[in-house]
Amino acid sequence: MNNDIILKVDGLKTYFNTDDGIVKAVDGVSFELKRGETLGLVGESGSGKSVSNLSLMKLIPSPPGKIMAGTAIIDGNIDLLSLNESQIRELRGNKIAMIFQDPMTSLNPFLRISTQMIETLVLHQGMDKKEALAKSIDMLDLVGIPNPEKRVKDYPHQFSGGMRQRVMIAMALSCDPEILIADEPTSALDVTIQAQILELIQSLSKRLGTAVIMITHDLGVVAGMCDTVIVMYAGRIVEKGTNDEIFDSPKHPYTKGLIKSVPRLDRPLAGRLFSIEGQPPNVIDLPSCCPFHPRCHKVMDKCKNTTPEVTKLENGREVRCFLYEGDK
Amino acid sequence: MSKYILRRALGLIPTMFIIVTICFFFIRLAPGGPFSREKKIPPQIMKNIEAKYHLDEPLAVQYIRYLGDVVRGDLGPSYKYKDYDVNFYIGRSLPVSLILGSLSLLIAVLFGMIAGMLSSLRQNTWIDYLSMSVAVVGISVPLFVIGPVLMYIFAMKLNILPVAGWIDEKGFKALIIPVVTLSLPYFATIARLSRASFLESLRSDYVRTAKAKGLKTSVIMFKHVLKGASLPVVSYLGPAFSGIITGSIVIEQIFRIPGLGRHFVQSAFNRDYTMIMGTVIVYSLILVIMNFIVDVVYGYLDPRISYK
Repeated sequence: MNNDIILKVDGLKTYFNTDDGIVKAVDGVSFELKRGETLGLVGESGSGKSVSNLSLMKLIPSPPGKIMAGTAIIDGNIDLLSLNESQIRELRGNKIAMIFQDPMTSLNPFLRISTQMIETLVLHQGMDKKEALAKSIDMLDLVGIPNPEKRVKDYPHQFSGGMRQRVMIAMALSCDPEILIADEPTSALDVTIQAQILELIQSLSKRLGTAVIMITHDLGVVAGMCDTVIVMYAGRIVEKGTNDEIFDSPKHPYTKGLIKSVPRLDRPLAGRLFSIEGQPPNVIDLPSCCPFHPRCHKVMDKCKNTTPEVTKLENGREVRCFLYEGDK
Repeated sequence: MSKYILRRALGLIPTMFIIVTICFFFIRLAPGGPFSREKKIPPQIMKNIEAKYHLDEPLAVQYIRYLGDVVRGDLGPSYKYKDYDVNFYIGRSLPVSLILGSLSLLIAVLFGMIAGMLSSLRQNTWIDYLSMSVAVVGISVPLFVIGPVLMYIFAMKLNILPVAGWIDEKGFKALIIPVVTLSLPYFATIARLSRASFLESLRSDYVRTAKAKGLKTSVIMFKHVLKGASLPVVSYLGPAFSGIITGSIVIEQIFRIPGLGRHFVQSAFNRDYTMIMGTVIVYSLILVIMNFIVDVVYGYLDPRISYK
């Protein structure tokens, strides 16, 4: 088999039990992540992109959440989803690290940066506190925090939003993880800072050879830095391809719509901005159909009562739409 | 920080001054006086008594005189008990109340925080339901029910603890039932408060980060959650402490404990002006000092609060 693949997710299903019924937040997601690759996961709110990654870390609040099925093989032999709590704890922050959307609340406001950075290093790398502090200062320096020897003693509220996200990145990368999951790392930051943070993630992951799963709803982010792109809709992957393929020749009507919805500054403004009409479906008790069909302008009769299967195209490209059934 | 502490400490003085002033005039607004009796005292005798206690002077002069005494640490003679002055009675009863109150509060905080922590970790399990049920009992059943019930079981039926009395006559065993009784409502409030704030912290983003770093639940609880979650409890402790010291009147009555609470209530019935003033001063002094301590502790617990 291909040794380059460090994470292989197959048929992941995560459901939430609510009073209104079972929410199928993630319903059969499969993908592969290669060593050093940057994978973009795009979709609107509620499409299951965050939940699928929290499932990989087994961080789904349970109850009500439950991982129903699927495997996630890391390093070719360990299935993340079948590990028990203490086994997965050894991997969290060590082999797989995560950075979150809101850097303002993701750091503990009551503890010094040094305390928060050291604990991971002491736990996973077996360093003593002095070594861990030195390493923390190095990491802060690496992510571009000025004067790190002094700043490491500060509390999170003494940093700006962008700086806090840098600290989060430093913390996440300090144990040299194989996979970095970035859950909308720039959504809460202003645009100029966004670019800096993305560049930082990109350059550091290249340098350290970390594979990145970039979860975002911002196509600009994906276009700028991802090798492979996965588009999710209503808990399922609707299209998968390389960056160029997705942006140059999107296949799925949803992907097409998404790309069209991005306002372009390099083209003359032609009237109103494009948007996909309608709302994403409620994923409780979704009947057998293509979940996108009410909003699709190429809808066929078949879409309304049959769930489309994945169609595999050339170069490992995948699309879940009846339009391409014959193109295998 | 030390500058802030000093400034806050100095700020206690005007607060106390205002409390003393308001209290002094309010007491005198109430009809009747310390020497009003159902049977009229002959006017000449009344005049002599009033002259002895300077009650015949204009109110402003009385006020200045009293203020001068208080500044020197003299709370004046009691109008009711002729043998000793107010300082003596408070000096004798305050330590008793302090021991009883501090012990009760300590136990309430310790067990309240543990109960809150466990029920937040095991939310909606039997542990949660059990400790919250005990808390509801603690809040809703009054002390004068719990006290006698415990007394009946442990002192009269099982005969292992003294029925009533204080350390000086019965030894430290005498503390157990009163302390448990008095701590119950405070335990209940702290358990509920801390459960809510533990739950809030446990759902916060920074705890998710801590989990994503691979930390154990115990480390997350004590290192990441405890500090933030104890803030509401800390701010409750200020008023709770002064309340538990003066509010133990029921317990003192039931268990025959010579504490401050008795003077607090009795002096009001007796219109014993100086005794009322004395107990009010002690009560409010404890209250403002406790609030001051809470503010300082807050600054140490939460680095975002800066006192400048």
